[in-house]
Amino acid sequence: MIAVAIDESADDVRPWVDGITMPVLLDREHVLTEVFAISNVPAVVWIDEAGRIARPTAVAFGSDMFKDFTGVGADPHLDAVRRWVREGVVDVDADTARTAVPDLTDDEVLARLHFRIGAAARRVGDDESTRRHLERAVELAPDDLTIWRAAMPLLGDDPFGEPFFAKFQAWQERGSPFHGLGALSD
Amino acid sequence: MSPVTVIGDDVRTVEARIHGGRVLVAPESLPTAIGWALKPEGLCRDEVCVPVRDRDALVVDGLVDLAAAAYALRRPAVVDAADPERAYVAIALPAEERRRALRELEAPDITLPDLDGNPHSLSEWGGRKRLLQAFSSW
Repeated sequence: MIAVAIDESADDVRPWVDGITMPVLLDREHVLTEVFAISNVPAVVWIDEAGRIARPTAVAFGSDMFKDFTGVGADPHLDAVRRWVREGVVDVDADTARTAVPDLTDDEVLARLHFRIGAAARRVGDDESTRRHLERAVELAPDDLTIWRAAMPLLGDDPFGEPFFAKFQAWQERGSPFHGLGALSD
Repeated sequence: MSPVTVIGDDVRTVEARIHGGRVLVAPESLPTAIGWALKPEGLCRDEVCVPVRDRDALVVDGLVDLAAAAYALRRPAVVDAADPERAYVAIALPAEERRRALRELEAPDITLPDLDGNPHSLSEWGGRKRLLQAFSSW
């Protein structure tokens, strides 16, 4: 297992990985979300021994911590992972896998670029450019939580506060659009 | 010349001339800026060269326009050079590479730092099954 934190700083990540022995990488520029068309976390990608995508971008939780909020438990995915590791069985056929993850739209790619500029501007204390580029990123990718929610702490907003829940509800009312396979259920 | 933040495969600062909203760098700075060099064959990195159709759009008064270079490499780019003292360029991956990887189920190899700043490529753990887990603190 390789964990990739879509985060601005290692210090933000450390409390979440205390005591964890698997590799934890930090993706400040959201490169992973660009190459695998990831638009929300947590997301998983299975990669086989030959470096091919065995199961593409999908929603999956590692624990039941957020089950009450999301309605998604960890067990169905963990069971599927065990079958893959032990028996080599993947629950998604290749044709489904090829089409399960729609490519990022042009706007979603541009949103990543504006997000990167906003984050870079913030690192050098350029507040005006930070706000302008992060707000543009959110405008361009209103359904992509790796943009709009990730931008919240960089703009001084609480990603677990009321503005988040209001936007999250609006996103759910749009049908919770995201790139990839949905979560496995019981 | 002013320092410009270029966010491509890395985040770099390069000296550039800002002119009419364009970010222009000396050809010798281009590899630092975007990882590609301008040669007679086109834009080149290692053994790979991408032909440049419109060299006049790319080279202005002996300097290379970063947005035009990104365009020649089929990479989307955002340039913010309204304030010459605080200019930024961000360059995406080639869209076609991502599309092909998604369609062909090829996992691109990417390199990211761990929490102590040491770089790791996903291929370091190659030859066995890997579960990538994207998560965040937000």
